[in-house]
Amino acid sequence: MNKTEKNWKSQFVSWVNGEREPKDRTLFVMERRHIAPPRPTPEEQDRRERHRLYRFLHGYPLAALIICAVLVCVLLTAVAAMPDFGDPDNPTNNEVAEHYLEYSYEETGAANVVTGMILSYRGFDTLGESCVLFLAVSCVTLLLRREPGCDEEDPDELRRRRQEDELRRRNPDVILTQAAKLLIPCIFLFAVYVLLHGEESPGGGFSGGTILGCGLILCSSAYGPENVRRFFNSRIFSAVRTFGLLLYAGLYGFYIFMGANGLEYGASFTMAIDLAVGLVVACTVYGFFALFSRGEI
Amino acid sequence: MLDLIVTNRFAITAVVLFGIGLLNVMVQKNLIKKVVGFNIMDSAVFLLLASLGYVDGGTAPIVGDVGFHPLYINPIPSGLVLTGIVVSVSITAFALALIQRVYRRYGTIELDELLERAKKEAD
Repeated sequence: MNKTEKNWKSQFVSWVNGEREPKDRTLFVMERRHIAPPRPTPEEQDRRERHRLYRFLHGYPLAALIICAVLVCVLLTAVAAMPDFGDPDNPTNNEVAEHYLEYSYEETGAANVVTGMILSYRGFDTLGESCVLFLAVSCVTLLLRREPGCDEEDPDELRRRRQEDELRRRNPDVILTQAAKLLIPCIFLFAVYVLLHGEESPGGGFSGGTILGCGLILCSSAYGPENVRRFFNSRIFSAVRTFGLLLYAGLYGFYIFMGANGLEYGASFTMAIDLAVGLVVACTVYGFFALFSRGEI
Repeated sequence: MLDLIVTNRFAITAVVLFGIGLLNVMVQKNLIKKVVGFNIMDSAVFLLLASLGYVDGGTAPIVGDVGFHPLYINPIPSGLVLTGIVVSVSITAFALALIQRVYRRYGTIELDELLERAKKEAD
C-alpha cells in the first residue's frame, strides 16, 4: 500500500517536473493494442458527413422550438410575479427617478429630464454609446470599403455599376429631384431645430442626428453621390465624426473636472454635447447608407 | 388570471416577441433572417423597458410645461432604451456587413449551403 502510494507520488512529481507522460502504463498498453478500423473511403466519408448534417438540420428545429417554449414559460412565470403596469408605487419609480425629476432643471439646465439625464448624470454612458457608433462605422468601413484599383471583384460588376451611374446621371428621376428640392431644406432645418432644442423639448442629439443623416441620404439619392461628395467627401466625413467624439470627450472631461455640479452655463453646455452627439450620429447614419449601397463615402 | 394578463399585457407581449425572435435566430437558415430575429428580440427588450417606466396618467418628463403637480413617467428606462437602440443599430450594421462579405466570398447566405461549402474547402 505504502509502496504504491509512494510510486504514485513519485510519478506525480516526475509528471510535474515534465519527465514523463501523465499516462498510466496499463492504459497506454491498451491503447497500443487497439486496432483502428479500416479508414472509410472518401465517398463513404462524404456520404456519412452529409447524412450527419442532414440529420442535424432536421432534428434541430424541434429542439429549438422546445428550448424557446421552455424559455417563454419561464419568463411568463416571472411576468406573473411582476408589479402592476403603470402603478406609481412600483419599485422602479424610486428616489433616483424622483431626484432626476426634481433637480434636473437646476442641476443640468435641461427641462427635458431624459436629455439632462443621459448627457449630464449619465454622460459616460452616452460617451460609450458614441464610441460604439464610431466603432461600428469603422468596422463597416473596414469590411465593405471598395478600394479603387486593387479589387477582388470582377470587372463585369464594376462596368455594370458604372453604366447604371451614367444612366442615372443622364435621366434623373423628376419626381425624386423635385420632391427633394422641396423637402431637403425643411429636413435640415428640422434637424437643426431638434438638435439644438433637445434640452427643452423632445429630441436631442440622437434623434436630431438621425434626421440630419436622413437628409444627407435623401440628397445622395436624389442628386447622386458625386454631388454630395462635393461638400461631404470621405476626408470630411472622417474629420466630422472624429471631431464630434473628441468634442464630447473634451467637454465631458471638462465638466467632470469642474466638479460636475450645477454649472451656471448648464444649458449651453448640454446643447454643445447634444451637437457633438448629433454629428457622430449623422455621420453614422449616412456612413451606413453610403457604405452599404456603394462601398464608399 | 385574465386580470393579470390585462395588467401586465406589455410584459407578456414582450416575452412572446422575445420567444419569436429567439426561435427565428435559431431556426432560420438565411443569415439575414437571423439578423431580423435579433432585431425582434431587441424590440421585445425595448418594449419591456419602456413599459416598466410608465406611470398611469403620466406625461413626458419635460419639466415646467404642465400645470400644478404634474405626474411624470420615469425617465430612467427611457435613457436605457436609448442605449439599447444605439447598440442594436450598431450590431445590426456590423452583422449585415459581415453577411455581405460572406456573400462575396461564397456566393450564398443560406447556412446549410455555407456549411457544406466551407467543409469542402477545408478538405
